[in-house]
Amino acid sequence: MGERVVILGVGLHPFGRHPEKSVGELARVAALAALKDAGVEFKDVQAGFCGHVVQGVGTGLRTFGEVGLTGIPITNIELACASSSRAAMLAADAISGGIYDLAMVIGVEKMERGLLSGVGGAEGGYQAKMGIALMPALYALMAQRHMHLYGTKHEHFAQVSVKSHRNGSLNPNAQYQKPLTLEDVLNSRMIADPITLYECSPTTDGASAVILASEKKAKQYTKSPVFMDTWAGGTPQYVRGESDFLEGPNTMLAQRVYEKAAIGPEDVDVVQVHDAFSPGEVFLVEELGFCPHGEGGPFVWEGNTEINGRLPINTDGGLLSRGHPIGATGGAMITELTLQLRGQAAARQVKGAKTALMHNAGIGGVNVIAFKT
Amino acid sequence: MQEAPAERKQVPIKGARLRLGDSPALLGSRCPGCGEHFYPPRYVCLNCYHEGLEEVALSTRGELYSFTIARVALPGTLMTPPYVIAQVRLTEGVQVATVLADIDPEAARIGMPLELVVEKASVDSEGNDVMTFKFRPAKDAS
Repeated sequence: MGERVVILGVGLHPFGRHPEKSVGELARVAALAALKDAGVEFKDVQAGFCGHVVQGVGTGLRTFGEVGLTGIPITNIELACASSSRAAMLAADAISGGIYDLAMVIGVEKMERGLLSGVGGAEGGYQAKMGIALMPALYALMAQRHMHLYGTKHEHFAQVSVKSHRNGSLNPNAQYQKPLTLEDVLNSRMIADPITLYECSPTTDGASAVILASEKKAKQYTKSPVFMDTWAGGTPQYVRGESDFLEGPNTMLAQRVYEKAAIGPEDVDVVQVHDAFSPGEVFLVEELGFCPHGEGGPFVWEGNTEINGRLPINTDGGLLSRGHPIGATGGAMITELTLQLRGQAAARQVKGAKTALMHNAGIGGVNVIAFKT
Repeated sequence: MQEAPAERKQVPIKGARLRLGDSPALLGSRCPGCGEHFYPPRYVCLNCYHEGLEEVALSTRGELYSFTIARVALPGTLMTPPYVIAQVRLTEGVQVATVLADIDPEAARIGMPLELVVEKASVDSEGNDVMTFKFRPAKDAS
């Protein structure tokens, strides 16, 4: 066992459309908020990890440089939509291994409006020409399969978005803070059956920052630490005869995290999952072990994942409503769970939350992290 | 002045491994070590790590594993919505991402038998016909 890792500070630049703001400005706001939240001065930070996807060469130095030039090593991490959670995992690895006492993660992204396409190296070839490289279509293919195998209904998926928007309306940092009805979601423009426009996460500008410390170092700053207890990352595994659309072995990673954290799904009080499109939450309640395979639709439909439900998920609105500035999303997930475990989530607070689980996925890998008080 | 209709060559669309001619087929890989098939072709076997796989013509038949109806136009594509994006499972068990031809999108059903079809996609700068592939409902569903 290495050093335990504490999430000492978190901060966001509100998610939304900020075309007038630079990447540096977005990052600076989040970074200063996290430093203030932690009670840490930037000169005490020993290493920086920057998660971003399309912001270009040297974004790490450019963003950390907004709050100081102290000569520390800064590393850029790209794992598509899971970039800043992987950045946090690498920082935690280094702290756990005794290399640093205090490290900082910045996640940042500025995105164009419209559909994200050509992701995953389509290179303008067959897939791009034939209109296959369509992000919602990847989730739609999985959703259709789920409906075929288990009788899951479009309404089940749509309810995820209704719940997310209700939660987003309670989050001042969310891109969308307006509730939607089931009819609003079902009647919005069809994108790729069964996924409608309001079942797609938006493109977003925003930034997140997380300050991580060793347990020993954290004692200087807090008496009630939130621990980043256990983490596991992975990529798809080739299994003969199995056709797998997944971005990674979600179930295996969750099992590894549960085992190392000495908890089971029944011990989890609050969750963040990767709902880039509404079916994501239905798949993940199954894959993370919260309900049997095939029962994710009814599980969500019956309200279990609402803030006052048995297993609150994406209490801040998730990717669907909080927004999804891809490189910043992982840090935003960590931010929400940290606030929940501190009891600082205001109108979104899950009463008595002590244990949290997070799942962040991208083309190129999946991260699962458990947090404890 | 009109050029004589020279012999226009057919070339496969970039990014597809497609055999043209009298018996068109997708070209994949077969592992001589364990027999696993792959599309697109690859050098190292994902099942047994054998290096140097054999090129094989894959079955032109399969079934619809999953699908969605794309309702929005992506810039730069040849397809006009609505069209069916399909995950086809070939007889060998290989999955191919493609689109469906000759079908009312609403009639697509998981499990339906499909067959390969080759179509002209465009003409390249040298005047060659660029050929692409789709799958369509099997004519003689046997």
